[in-house]
Amino acid sequence: MIPGDYVALAVILFVIGAVGVLIRRNAMVIFMCIELMLNAVNLAFVAFARLHGTIDGQVIAFFVMVVAAAEVVVGLAILMAIFRSRRSASVDDANLLKY
Amino acid sequence: MTSLSGALAAATITPPHIEYGQLSPLLVVFGAAVAGVLVEAFVPRERRRAFHLVIALGGLVAAFALIISVAATPSLFAHGSPGHVVAMGAVGVDGPTLFIQGTIVVLAFVSVLLIAESSHGVSPFAAQAAAVPGSAEEREGLLRGISHTEVYPLTLFAVGGMMLFPAANDLLTMFVALEVLSLPLYLLCGLARRRRLISQEAAMKYFLLGAFSSAFFLFGVAMLYGYSGSVSLSAIAAAAATNVSSATLLYAGIALVGIGLLFKIGAVPFQSWKPDVYQGAPTAVTALMASCTVVSAFGGLLRVFYVAFGQLTWDWRPAMWGVAILTMLAGAIIAITQTDVKRMLAYSSIAHGGFVLTAVVAATAAGLSASLFYLAVYGLTTIGAFAVVTLVRDPAGEANHLSKWAGLGKRSPWLAGVFAFFLLAFAGIPLTSGFAGKFAVFQAAAAGGALPLVIIGVLASAVAAFFYVRVIVLMFFSDPAPDGPTVVTPGLFTGAAVAVGAAATLVFGIAPEPLLALASHAAAHLFVR
Amino acid sequence: MNAAHVLAASTVGAGAVVAFWILAVISVAAALGLVLAPRAVHGAVLLAVVMLSLAVLYGVAGAPFLAFVQIIVYTGAVLMLFLFVLMIVGVSAADSMRETIRGQRLAAGLAGIGLLVLLALVVGHAAIGPAAPAGSNYGVLNVQRLAQLIFTRYVFPFELTSALLITAALGAMVLAHRERTSPKPSQRDLARQRVRGDHPAPLPGPGVYARGDAADMPALLPDGTPSPLSLNPVMARRRGSAIRVPGPGVPAPLPPGEPGKDGGPDAEPDREGAHP
Repeated sequence: MIPGDYVALAVILFVIGAVGVLIRRNAMVIFMCIELMLNAVNLAFVAFARLHGTIDGQVIAFFVMVVAAAEVVVGLAILMAIFRSRRSASVDDANLLKY
Repeated sequence: MTSLSGALAAATITPPHIEYGQLSPLLVVFGAAVAGVLVEAFVPRERRRAFHLVIALGGLVAAFALIISVAATPSLFAHGSPGHVVAMGAVGVDGPTLFIQGTIVVLAFVSVLLIAESSHGVSPFAAQAAAVPGSAEEREGLLRGISHTEVYPLTLFAVGGMMLFPAANDLLTMFVALEVLSLPLYLLCGLARRRRLISQEAAMKYFLLGAFSSAFFLFGVAMLYGYSGSVSLSAIAAAAATNVSSATLLYAGIALVGIGLLFKIGAVPFQSWKPDVYQGAPTAVTALMASCTVVSAFGGLLRVFYVAFGQLTWDWRPAMWGVAILTMLAGAIIAITQTDVKRMLAYSSIAHGGFVLTAVVAATAAGLSASLFYLAVYGLTTIGAFAVVTLVRDPAGEANHLSKWAGLGKRSPWLAGVFAFFLLAFAGIPLTSGFAGKFAVFQAAAAGGALPLVIIGVLASAVAAFFYVRVIVLMFFSDPAPDGPTVVTPGLFTGAAVAVGAAATLVFGIAPEPLLALASHAAAHLFVR
Repeated sequence: MNAAHVLAASTVGAGAVVAFWILAVISVAAALGLVLAPRAVHGAVLLAVVMLSLAVLYGVAGAPFLAFVQIIVYTGAVLMLFLFVLMIVGVSAADSMRETIRGQRLAAGLAGIGLLVLLALVVGHAAIGPAAPAGSNYGVLNVQRLAQLIFTRYVFPFELTSALLITAALGAMVLAHRERTSPKPSQRDLARQRVRGDHPAPLPGPGVYARGDAADMPALLPDGTPSPLSLNPVMARRRGSAIRVPGPGVPAPLPPGEPGKDGGPDAEPDREGAHP
């Protein structure tokens, strides 16, 4: 395998995820784009681990998965509470706090 | 068969060596948090608060005592060593870390007092966070007078993460600590009792922006891992010193990790979450965030930039100059337009972050000790200020709009006087701790070759002083509105918080030398590598 | 060939390159689909596609344990949790494609292109060399080596993640668990309420017509108006469903013979991508 290709793919997925967070208005989709960014980071870790011949990168990717799972739980709890209150998942409707 | 015996041979793992003694403050705080969760599970509702108070406050006091005892261990700083790296290289125990952890524990103690305030029958936290605002279930919960007591274990988990974040010696532990400190804060922001829609909105904004920035932080860690083959801060520094080729991965890593850390501090251009989150969160939680999170985040920033990138100051200093300038000016200027007292304090906290960044830029031991001192005194003043904000109430809850604060000086001179004192400390008037802090920070920055930053800092302080004085004038020299808010008599806990904040601001303003000496002693050997 | 040779062979050579390029195209296409799909559920399925193709890439890159953990934990648990919450939040909730902040799309797109160019330059210049020779880490002993690392060098963050998991569980309970404030009505109480209420008889079921018999088709009363009792209130609130509950702000129903025509007052005329 060629680690450079994997890292390039990780960069592309990361940027797509970042643009998705900035463009989309549905809070659930924004959160899914953040998950896409975390997956891209995992791919970068695995590729760099293969580059150096160590597996620290795989262990770190494993920890990132654990952290992402906990973050998903907390995030979805918050989003569900918001949805119940407002019947809408759009971040544009969350406009009570302003400049 | 060869693969099987090979697998068996590889199955022996030498057990790791954990220095429980040096980790004891952290372990006590996490243990108290777990004990809090058990209290939630097994203790009947009426007695939970008492149990939680004992466990939380007792745990924090024990942690502070343990920090002092760890710092006093003769073997820790023997032979001029800066400290120890413990837990198989995951945690660093050194002077600055112990100072920051001690600061965080003290600030957390005062914040827990604010969180625990339930005089006048009103706890700041929701009765049933899962109930829809305005529904019958919420009304029933409010009538029953219950409130969520899970905030105590959540606060302790956050404080544990905050203590670990500046102590983390490799970037993986730092990332996990970042999430451990952030997730409970996301939850706590959404648990206000009144104005729940704003509170939930603040929680959502904090969560989405926080997750976004920690993804950037993580990508930076990946770049640094790719560059150096390790996530340990000292290994990255060693690789940066020896390996000059393919340094673009290193620079990308510095930038992305810096983005993640600057978000947590609230530096411009990553500050947009601060005003909304500070305004929407329950004020006791805002006090926790404004004091402890800022201290912890700066500790993490200092450790990463001094240890991992300490030899690369030529590379990250220019960018940090720009960030410091933008932060100071933007924080001061935008605060002028604010009409909500919590948002104003949020922008002022952004500006103060900029002032500390000028000392960070210096990248010397003097800069480090000045930052430590500033963070300690600023944290105590901030908690006092937010404690005062909780006391100004009208029938709808806290009266946060500045127009309602008009004439407060005529109705409650003591409270307005204390708040004016805190505002003067923020402005950096002599005889307050704010002045001592700013003096130390600007002196270190000038000595470190950042004189233009000092000039801009002084300008920004002048601009900031304008809106602080404007609030003081509003309180003392304008007439109170006829249907204005009342100032409730502070309960024991809030009164203690205000008293501690005011006393600290006065004492460290008049006699800052002991704390300054302690900070410079802690920072003398910088961080352990 | 034993397993070690197979595993090692899968990570080098033409097979790995072909696998990479196919999966790269699939994952980028799915990622773009996630960002551009108007409906959140489509986005979730496309994210599952990305995660599964990344899992195969991990396998090719010499991380078989991580590949399986990605499938089982990340795709199978985390993403399914996403789908559950999406179902609760509202399946048909489509994003309004209209911008609220003018130029935000353009600015975000430019920022994305800028970030992509910057990072591409970094990665391109970085001269990321060839993979190091696969040592004992990348063979049959991959899992053992991972275990060695997790339980020796990284044991402290490993134990620390337990704090995360406790916080997550506590947070989910606080924000999503509604405690009962009054005792749960028993079967007897419910039956008593029903008999003493307006409609002791069971409610009418949905309508069955020549053109359709879905569960969201209202039954018709003798004068041709839809019967509100035959409607499931959750479905009645979904945009674009066949039902219009007569009430304030909703016009009188269409004459019989034309069920299912959309065009009620709450369909926004400037919504792109709205589904009838």
